[in-house]
Amino acid sequence: MRWPVFFLIPIALIAFVAGQLFLKHAMESSAVRGFRDAQVILFLGCGIFSMTIHFFVTLGLLGHLDLSYVYPFQGLSVIIISLAAAVVLKEKLSLRLTLGALLISAGIMLVSMS
Amino acid sequence: MTKGTRNKRMQNRPSGFANPWFQLGFGVVCVLVYELLQKRGASETANLSQVWSWTGITALVSPLIWLAMALMIVSLLSWLYVLRYIPLSIAFPLSRVVDVLIPLSCWLILGENISSRRWCGIALVVVGLLLTARPVAQLEEKL
Repeated sequence: MRWPVFFLIPIALIAFVAGQLFLKHAMESSAVRGFRDAQVILFLGCGIFSMTIHFFVTLGLLGHLDLSYVYPFQGLSVIIISLAAAVVLKEKLSLRLTLGALLISAGIMLVSMS
Repeated sequence: MTKGTRNKRMQNRPSGFANPWFQLGFGVVCVLVYELLQKRGASETANLSQVWSWTGITALVSPLIWLAMALMIVSLLSWLYVLRYIPLSIAFPLSRVVDVLIPLSCWLILGENISSRRWCGIALVVVGLLLTARPVAQLEEKL
């Protein structure tokens, strides 16, 4: 494994988690304020910008590594996003949902270490 | 966003193609196809330039990558629609059914290997998905 992998995989992950939170917040707000609201447009823009960074970094990684290796690293994003949705977006996170998200993340990590 | 308005929106959710749960599944299929196209496109173009290949920019010469980007836009719109109705902590874990479907497709279509450890991981994801899906089924029954 070469050095860019250690550097680029976390960047792709952080961009992805931030992007999902921005998009969810924008869509929640849009249901109340509509799509012309400045805050909704700002959050949508931030979300799309983050997802674009994620897209190109992932493309770079895929050019050199197997898809079934690169992609599962994003499994960590499941538990991170679930916790962040509870903390940042005040969503109700039951024990069952937390356990489900943990198992999905662990499963994907296991897949990625193969 | 209060819980009341969120539940009300969920109760008034559209049916058929516009149903958020259907859109969640539709988006998953789009993601699966574009990931496979990305891999094909990126592999074909990885050796075009030593300097730029790690940035992914060289992949833009492949038509497969452009098709993947079109599907990515469709899946993004579908996902945004899903987010309007379903909490992120439910929708996102469920959307990761893709992480089971991708290794299986790589195995079937791209001929990549799946080790026994990887099969165990796939099984864990499936159990996690079932745990996440059950509250959804109960939520649907209440509505």
